[in-house]
Amino acid sequence: MLSRVANSLYWLSRYLERAENLTRLVAVNRYADLDSIESPSSSNDTLWHPLLYATAAQENYDKAKEAAGKDIDVNWFITFSISDGDSIRSCIAQARENARMVRDQISEEIWLELNSFHLFMQSQEAEALWKDRPEDFYRRTIKACMLFSGLINATILHDEGWHFIEAGRFLERADKTTRVLDMLAFESDPDRGKLASALRSCSAFSAFRAESRGEVTLENVVDFLLFSPSFPRSVRFCLRQIDKQLHSISGTSDGSFSNEAERLAGSTLAQLNFSNIQSVQSIGYHDYFDELQQQFNKIGRQIFETYILLPQEINSLPQYDRTQWQWQQQQQQ
Amino acid sequence: MFQNYQKEAFFDEMFGNDSNTSLPHYQLLENRFTRLQQKELIEKQRLVNHGFLEQGITFTVYGDDKGTERIFPFDLIPRIIPNDEWQTVEQGLTQRIIALNLFLNDIYHDAKIIKDGIIPESVVKEAAHYRPEMCGVDVPKDIYLQICGTDLIRDDKGKYLVLEDNGRCPSGVSYLLENREAMKRAFPQLYRECGVRPVDNYPELLLKTMQHLSPRAGQTPVCALLTPGVYNSAYFEHTFLARKMGIEIVEGRDLIVLNGYVFMRTTHGLVQVDVIYRRLDDDFLDPRVFRKDSMLGVPGLMEAYLCGNVALANAVGTGVADDKVTYAYVDDMIRYYLDQEPILESVPTYLAWRDEDRKYILDNLESLVVKAANESGGYGMLMGPSSTAAQRAEFATKIKENPRNYIAQPVVSLSRHPTICKDNAIEGRHIDLRPFILYGDKIEIIPGGLTRVALNKGSLIVNSSQGGGSKDTWVLYK
Repeated sequence: MLSRVANSLYWLSRYLERAENLTRLVAVNRYADLDSIESPSSSNDTLWHPLLYATAAQENYDKAKEAAGKDIDVNWFITFSISDGDSIRSCIAQARENARMVRDQISEEIWLELNSFHLFMQSQEAEALWKDRPEDFYRRTIKACMLFSGLINATILHDEGWHFIEAGRFLERADKTTRVLDMLAFESDPDRGKLASALRSCSAFSAFRAESRGEVTLENVVDFLLFSPSFPRSVRFCLRQIDKQLHSISGTSDGSFSNEAERLAGSTLAQLNFSNIQSVQSIGYHDYFDELQQQFNKIGRQIFETYILLPQEINSLPQYDRTQWQWQQQQQQ
Repeated sequence: MFQNYQKEAFFDEMFGNDSNTSLPHYQLLENRFTRLQQKELIEKQRLVNHGFLEQGITFTVYGDDKGTERIFPFDLIPRIIPNDEWQTVEQGLTQRIIALNLFLNDIYHDAKIIKDGIIPESVVKEAAHYRPEMCGVDVPKDIYLQICGTDLIRDDKGKYLVLEDNGRCPSGVSYLLENREAMKRAFPQLYRECGVRPVDNYPELLLKTMQHLSPRAGQTPVCALLTPGVYNSAYFEHTFLARKMGIEIVEGRDLIVLNGYVFMRTTHGLVQVDVIYRRLDDDFLDPRVFRKDSMLGVPGLMEAYLCGNVALANAVGTGVADDKVTYAYVDDMIRYYLDQEPILESVPTYLAWRDEDRKYILDNLESLVVKAANESGGYGMLMGPSSTAAQRAEFATKIKENPRNYIAQPVVSLSRHPTICKDNAIEGRHIDLRPFILYGDKIEIIPGGLTRVALNKGSLIVNSSQGGGSKDTWVLYK
């Protein structure tokens, strides 16, 4: 498979997963706000906003706010802004841009659904629906994202490209689950409402009940979202998938590695497999989550260097001047 | 629906020259459209447009920072060509591509046609797309032009004329194929009743044409389509063709040349490429040989090509054959190489570098179309009859400064075709036809071509960048 194609498939899937996670976060946060008396986010007490923290959008938000010279609704910002590289709308646009580059590699259905959802997200209709019936808007977005993952599983070959798609999806998901956890770690003593929101942001409430049967305490929630062997959004589950996909790509057998990405994924997984909530606590929640996130970033970078860049030729790549590059592409007959 | 239709003084594809009833091959269509309710028509148009947009069958508008994508407007009334008429066109196109190939082979080798005084040396050597690098180079199977899009028009008598050849990277074939799909969905019954020859085997034919060139014998050739990238207005077409042929679509940065061979960079290392269908002009192919600033090309590609280790379709240097000055000599080429009379005539052409022609052009700017020799897409043109005095003065200066770069032709009153216009009124609009000719093991032309229509009232410019749209083209079995 062309390296560039693998890269596009990987990012296509990361952006879709990111859009879905953002949507859950905003939807849940909005809903929780309805019950919260002290700090409804619409009051824009945004010195520190958990949503902006969890989406790493604080800096972009501050800039946008300064540029606008007034408060901006945080929910709107995370849903629609374009200045923010990671709003739901721009994630969909970037997923679609990646899909466009690999149209010959994905099924017609995936393209059609993604393109038409992108057109919807760019339209006035989307913002109108969001103002009018936000619940419906977010439900529709989550549905679209789920439709994409269904189509990806059901309509394309489960070959190399698919492994890149899956690796991208689970790496993104592991990162987002960790961020949700970190959001809890930041609060000194999150109340039950906050814990429930965190679970809901990961669609994990009923799974948590069924598997852990414990009380909704910080310890139990962290335990579940980190270590659950069978919940598909737990960090451990995601890492196992990343490990598996990377081995499928290279053909290396389990328990060994042939490149740095595999080594990092395998060792992080092993570390997680042989830890428990006590060992997390002894390191400290935030430090532990932070370390995990750094590992995920490294794995992503190593995938890129191993499969996309082909290091021996990096130096031969010309430096692109973007405008010039676009202009040259526009020749036609 | 056609009762208020005004033919005016043009040849009308549906009604012919002087009759008020439609030509026999249009009668089924007339019946169908006469029965059609306004409401139905609007609904069908809406569905078709929506389909194009959803599938991303769009082109990018240049000079628009937001990268706005538009659909190429599509008209629901198909253009119909009876089979006997098409046979003649097909023979004419076949004759023409053979002659153009012989010409290219000749000028890059012995240049007999120049020595024999048929074409002045300067016409060839001063063409912007003439490539001295190709002199003495043998291209695979001696085929230069594997893919050609020749624009045809019909004059006020309905006679087919060649307007120009597009022999570098002609585009539009994906619209042709998608238009057909749209029409089959919108008018399934009518399509069946009319007996239309299919076009959907084009990608297979194209793939065969490419494979025919492969320098590596004895195994399935590795073919790839080289695209300038997502910002090219024909990018949709590139992915479309690559997908239908089941080959990789590559950008310059996906390819690398090592020891004179071309490889694709894949997740499992490098894979050798045998044939490249390049949708990239010569200028950008290889920064070591052509434009140094090209970011789209592949350093070393020409070296691999000249060694015969990779085939390119079309060959390098074919642009000299679709130069607008060369055009004036194609009829002579046909006589010279094939000893035949041209089956399809060309439009009379005045060449500005000839003193007497230039005088004629400058004296008659108001009644002529002036074209820059190396422009395409409807740019660099002066439409005499609709021009202002200032525009004419501007062109007069340009012509005097650089006569080699300009030609002029009388205004041909292009044939018209009933077209759905504003408020769903049916009016006559000017059209042309771009058939696609493939030259591989044998010459194949899919029946019909892309019919482009100038949607603005009275306009003769059919290019999508300038208010053009398209129609499906039906060549009938009978």
